[in-house]
Amino acid sequence: MKFKAFLTENGVNLLEKRFLPAFDKMGKTCHLFLTKDHLFFLHNLLNGDGVQCIAQFRIDLLFDDYRVSSQNDDRIAFSLDVSLLYRAVKSSVSICTEFSGGLASNRLQIKLVKKLPPNCTQPMPFLTFETKGYKSAVIQDVPISKPLSRSQVVELQTALDSAQDLPPTLVQVQDPSQLQNFVDRMKHVGDVLNVTISKHGDLQVQISTTLVRLGSEFQRLSVIGEKSQAPAEDRNLSAQARSERAIARGDAQSVQVSVKHFSKSLQCHLTKPDSAFYGIAPQGACLTVIFQFMVPGTRQTDKSISLHCRLPVLDPGSN
Amino acid sequence: MNSSPAIEPDAPDLVCQLDNVQGMVDALTCVRWKRHQDALVELSEHGIVLIVEESGCLQAKVYLQRELFTKYEYGAEGRPRFGISLGLLVDCLNTFSSPGHSNTIEIKYPGPDMELLLKSVDTLNSCIYSEIRTRIPETSEWDYNFEQAGTVPLTFTVKSAALKEAIDDLEWPGSSVQISLQMSPPCVTFRGEGHGDLQIDFMYYANTDLLLAFHCDTEVSYRYKYKFLKATTANIPGNVARENRGSKLTIGRGGMLKVQHLVSVSKPLAPQVDSAGYQPPSRIAYIEFFVKPEETA
Repeated sequence: MKFKAFLTENGVNLLEKRFLPAFDKMGKTCHLFLTKDHLFFLHNLLNGDGVQCIAQFRIDLLFDDYRVSSQNDDRIAFSLDVSLLYRAVKSSVSICTEFSGGLASNRLQIKLVKKLPPNCTQPMPFLTFETKGYKSAVIQDVPISKPLSRSQVVELQTALDSAQDLPPTLVQVQDPSQLQNFVDRMKHVGDVLNVTISKHGDLQVQISTTLVRLGSEFQRLSVIGEKSQAPAEDRNLSAQARSERAIARGDAQSVQVSVKHFSKSLQCHLTKPDSAFYGIAPQGACLTVIFQFMVPGTRQTDKSISLHCRLPVLDPGSN
Repeated sequence: MNSSPAIEPDAPDLVCQLDNVQGMVDALTCVRWKRHQDALVELSEHGIVLIVEESGCLQAKVYLQRELFTKYEYGAEGRPRFGISLGLLVDCLNTFSSPGHSNTIEIKYPGPDMELLLKSVDTLNSCIYSEIRTRIPETSEWDYNFEQAGTVPLTFTVKSAALKEAIDDLEWPGSSVQISLQMSPPCVTFRGEGHGDLQIDFMYYANTDLLLAFHCDTEVSYRYKYKFLKATTANIPGNVARENRGSKLTIGRGGMLKVQHLVSVSKPLAPQVDSAGYQPPSRIAYIEFFVKPEETA
């Protein structure tokens, strides 16, 4: 089992400035899954009932000289502490910039190693970052879990495949910060968020308790997938009445998610997506948020990065 | 814009609009000294008054005059009153003041089930709405009749920021604070005793920039529970200090202390207003606290 690569400048920037800060907020540990073509960061895919977060990078976006080999179809997966990884990348970057004097030749190498830590009899696996300066080299070892077994990798791959299902209707939120501000302030009022998405392009988030109902509705969002025209007679109704009628007609779906989970998924905005799409999986299985990244300077989707979250749906009786 | 259902049995008691939610949040936060607090709201043709009370010793009132509102349609007979959770009201209003949304809200009472209804107005393609359950208020009146102590009101006005700082500093000595007014030299003294003692004097002639006004024709001295005194300044919004406002304290009959603050409810102006920060009086919310003195043993 071998993995060795050099991080590209763009790759370092993407990880250090955008993705690792977001992953750090998503949860303490995550799985890193390396294949011949892609690198995945996977949160909560195998365990737990928290927010699943799936990030996929094409190898050439992050790495030069990428070499991965294993007896399991050249796939390697392990889990690690995201904050340690983030710290190692940050400090490697600062060493690079400090000692290279701006020379691009100074590259950051990342590889999988087994080492014998002090006071241990068993060698342990590490993800090692090696920065070569002008006169010195700095090596940082991030401890990782034992690589996943063949059956565990299959399990991870299956979970990953099943997490790729697209909701039938997706609505596009162009300015996610507005939603974030709103949900941040809403948190104080209740724990359970009702999310309603209609084929007319309406997204409604609402907290409802015995004492208060507080909600926000975004209308006329772009719709991908199944869409329909809102009936004219609904136009003058309240947000609440409109969504109730749309659900009754089968034009909208509603699920309940934890405010905490929703707020956590909004942390993905640290990755600076160009927009976000919200949709409800068939049978209300989960709330899916897909983040879209554009090729810089264009209006074309950057297919080398993909990021999406799946929020578990609460049992309506459980609140 | 969303409007309420087509069939409306009666005109509501009140429909009003405010163009600066944050101002109302600031004013109400001023009287929020703990997480769960029941408030009494009274509506009238003159405006909205919100009253909170604690332990029969402390009462606070927020006066939101009708002039603060860009629209104020009052349709009730008499003065409708209802109880509401102050925390929920502030948390909900705070949601309306999130950046990116129009800061204008409409407040309506009552809703179909006697709720207080809030909704954002003037935002294209997005809206925020809220319905807060109200309660039937308790019938017993809170008795805080404030009467002037003598022929001349015993009163002084001090910079709000200085008052807050003094009360914050008095935290360590103990549970009660003595406020004394003396005529010669004109001086206000805050004294805390307990684990050690701390005395803060505001001398009228020495600190004219802090003690802005002073009226007293007899020496008085009363003790107040620290936690109640603290509540009067703990949540003064930052703009009160920035705008360099003063707070007026008056001691009434029996030592009842009245503390009055002025909180700006106007829209923040894009270019900074001059340091005098003059604003028409109509854009100010009045906050009043009444603190009963400790029983003298």
